[in-house]
Amino acid sequence: MARTLRFEGLYPYPPEQVWTALTDPAALADWLMPNDFAPALGHLFTFRTKPAPGFDGIVQCEVIELEEPARLAYSWKGGGLDTIVRYTLAAEGANTRLVMEQSGFTGLKGFMVSKLLGRGWKRMIHERLPAAAGRVADGRYTPDPDAPASQCHS
Amino acid sequence: MTGNDATENEVFRALADPNRRALLSILGEGAQPVTALAGRFEISQPAVSQHLKVLREAGLVSERKAGRNRIYALEAGPLALAAEWLERHMDFWASRFDNLGRHLRDKHGKDA
Repeated sequence: MARTLRFEGLYPYPPEQVWTALTDPAALADWLMPNDFAPALGHLFTFRTKPAPGFDGIVQCEVIELEEPARLAYSWKGGGLDTIVRYTLAAEGANTRLVMEQSGFTGLKGFMVSKLLGRGWKRMIHERLPAAAGRVADGRYTPDPDAPASQCHS
Repeated sequence: MTGNDATENEVFRALADPNRRALLSILGEGAQPVTALAGRFEISQPAVSQHLKVLREAGLVSERKAGRNRIYALEAGPLALAAEWLERHMDFWASRFDNLGRHLRDKHGKDA
């Protein structure tokens, strides 16, 4: 079963600029969350945001892949999740295709993630999940049902 | 989703079996008597009944009697909770990637 969430976007900037947005702590704070990231393999850091029920607002991370300006991955643990977030960047002309994949969901969460792109389950959860998927598919963030990521994780 | 691991595990265990998932899919089309459900499986009716029992204990289906029949219906509550979690989580990432587009635009001055 696929247990990977995938977001994909095409940004009209070269990979180096997108890479900076992913790896400069101030830039990262501007679009993602306040953090003490550093671009170094094995670096331990946190993202901090507003606590919510069942989530103390802290995401614990460790840099596990770093390949400028093409590939970045860190662990992502917090709020009941123990996952990996991986970014891949590829130049397309003057643009950058950015793919983010979050993998490692377990239990019922993993099940829901794996069924996100499946068929036949939409009605059974009373249209809630398709509504969520529809919003994401509307615009640049299109989960790709044919992507290898949705087929090779179990 | 975050506060009740016992229920979550029970639901997940119920969902782990392909026959039980198939039962839920069929019940997603509407409530059915157990005899009609069993007719769509190659496994025996007692086996289907056993799967329905596991689903019922996880709160995923309900049972009512109609004459000599037992009618099963989908109860979407536990799955709806999981779907809500997933919806929130996907909203989180979607909004952050919108932020990333804005961040790049602010910094480098082009339309995303």
